[in-house]
Amino acid sequence: MASGYDRALSVFSPDGHVFQVEYALEAVKRGTCAVGVKGQDIVVLGCEKRSAMKLQDTRITPSKICLVDNHVALAFAGLHADARILVDKARLEAQSHRLTVEDPVSIEYITKYIAGVQQRYTQSGGVRPFGISTLIVGFDKNDKTPFLYQTEPSGIYSAWKANAIGRSSKTVREFLERNHKPDMNREDTIKLTVKSLLEVVQTGAKNIEIAIMAPGKPVEMLADDAIEKYVESIDTEKQEEAANRRPGRAPGSGTAAILTRQSGEGSGA
Amino acid sequence: MSRRYDSRTTIFSPEGRLYQVEYALEAISHAGTALGILAQDGIVLAAERKVTSKLLEQDTSAEKLYILNDNMICAVAGMTADANILINYARQAAQRYLLTYNEDIPCEQLVRRLCDLKQGYTQHGGLRPFGVSFIYAGYDPQTHFQLYQSNPSGNYGGWKATSVGANNASAQSLLKQDYNGDCNLKEACGLAVKVLSKTMDSTNLSSEKIEFATVGKTKEGKVYHHLWGAEEIDALLKEHGLGKAKEEEDEDRMER
Amino acid sequence: MEVLLGITGKDFTIMASSKAAMRGATILKATDDKTRELNKQTLMAFSGEAGDTVQFAEYIQANIQLYSMRNDTHLGPPAVASFVRGELARSLRSRRPYTVNLLLGGFDSITEKPSLYWIDYLASCVPLPYAAHGYAQYYCLSILDKHHHPDIDLETGMKILRMCTDELRRRLPVDFKGIAVKIITRDGIREEEYTDDHVVRSA
Repeated sequence: MASGYDRALSVFSPDGHVFQVEYALEAVKRGTCAVGVKGQDIVVLGCEKRSAMKLQDTRITPSKICLVDNHVALAFAGLHADARILVDKARLEAQSHRLTVEDPVSIEYITKYIAGVQQRYTQSGGVRPFGISTLIVGFDKNDKTPFLYQTEPSGIYSAWKANAIGRSSKTVREFLERNHKPDMNREDTIKLTVKSLLEVVQTGAKNIEIAIMAPGKPVEMLADDAIEKYVESIDTEKQEEAANRRPGRAPGSGTAAILTRQSGEGSGA
Repeated sequence: MSRRYDSRTTIFSPEGRLYQVEYALEAISHAGTALGILAQDGIVLAAERKVTSKLLEQDTSAEKLYILNDNMICAVAGMTADANILINYARQAAQRYLLTYNEDIPCEQLVRRLCDLKQGYTQHGGLRPFGVSFIYAGYDPQTHFQLYQSNPSGNYGGWKATSVGANNASAQSLLKQDYNGDCNLKEACGLAVKVLSKTMDSTNLSSEKIEFATVGKTKEGKVYHHLWGAEEIDALLKEHGLGKAKEEEDEDRMER
Repeated sequence: MEVLLGITGKDFTIMASSKAAMRGATILKATDDKTRELNKQTLMAFSGEAGDTVQFAEYIQANIQLYSMRNDTHLGPPAVASFVRGELARSLRSRRPYTVNLLLGGFDSITEKPSLYWIDYLASCVPLPYAAHGYAQYYCLSILDKHHHPDIDLETGMKILRMCTDELRRRLPVDFKGIAVKIITRDGIREEEYTDDHVVRSA
């Protein structure tokens, strides 16, 4: 069809597409899922983690959540190697910013910078775009408002209350749209993150990674057994819900239609 | 259909894949097997040598195993010419680090430096990716003995035992079956020859066909790396009943 | 008339620096901090040409912190010292070199030993059990020679430091506005309260 226009690196096709950028988004969709959720004065990142094979050295497994600076965490979906390069550039900028203006970067600034780099790779000669989307979270200096941004291979960036990237991100985002409430506390925020990841992660706690950012504190990576507890409590909640539903189904035939739909949804998740 | 996305430089296919990188991986899967095994007190690397000839100088022409640094060695699978470029780069990076910080570069950092270069060749125009996978074995005071593997995409990971090249699937499953986390270096060497003997195409092993190297610590606690000589390899093979007696081999050759 | 002092002991390094910021004979500020934290376990104290000092220190700080962020691990004190020495040596051979004298105090989490490096503006770098820069050298080194021992505990270390600062106050012709003390141990860097209001009489 648009012969040639998707081969020369990043040029417009006659109908106005930049194919390489669109294909880069496909690479993102092939990556594992990452979720970011804002609470009242907390922001949580969650990642789907590939389970370690028996012979893998668990001491050294590159994580999908990394720190750009002490107060900025980033999760990505897409090509690992690309992410390493992009994060390295961001880290350099974060420290260079500290050196020149004596203040840590604001979350918006570093997001803009990262998106800017991604944009440049869609327009410069002879390079392909970065095959990653990122979620950037953190707190500005002396500020208790949580921030959550997303960047894409095209260089677009946007602020979110909660969002997901990567494989099945659509399902997760829809789940978040249904369940996100403003001003959640710490527990609820973490729980919602885990719960949303469980929409796409079948294998439970051992394939989930959680990072928590709070104002003025270093990033906290949740231990496996702590995640396990959240998963368990979510499971019991789900079972209770299911149990509550079942008795209601028998007497009222009028509501049966709604109930069946709900239970159908539950089994689909 | 894929022809449009794989001919020139590395660009995304409509499914978001990088064919050039995948083809490079394909090239490696035909190369001689190389494997690495992490033990409690060291690491062993072993590799299958493809070019064998009586006329080849045994000592000076290592084909698969190289020293990167005082604390690190690597095994190569794939295009050896490409590997030389990368090894040279790694050696320089290691020495530059030594010059700046007056201590050996931590293993993961050296691996990452190499992988960042590999990544660059998958993103910047006009260049094909490097057609090599590496297995690295090294030691640093922070993480002690470490074994890594990297591939043309620029990804890397830490392993307890791993293999690359031809038959790496069967080698990997053999390793999975027999690897024991508490093994010592000697046992690891035994496992290495055993796996090689089962995965190599040729039926009988000899020092001409394989290369062997170990990283370990001396009694004084100093880290050493050692590329094995032919006699040592033959002795190891004999110990595990895998080597062919010398006379037999000579007879073989005469028959040919 | 700037004072930099460093004393190591069994499991700590004490870093002391005078609090006066001076220009010529004028004291501009009495709460100056002549140190920068490079990473969790390394502290750099500096003296020398005003402007050069902070510029150089913050440049080093940014680079060491960048290393920490990039590699998710801290550089040990010996590696930091080599890096700083290298940067200073490079600058020395440039058109306008930095004139800064440095003390690098740290705690090596791998060897579990305290460490102290003395670096001057000509980029010589020496690991030492105790060290001083500026006029403090003339008055304090003899005291340290006599009383220091590698196995001293923190209390003894502070006692020796007190002897040093008393001697400085006794002998130095200019008030250096007291010293700020920081201590580096296994757990990181902390500031130590150091009162200096008792009377010290000159002979």
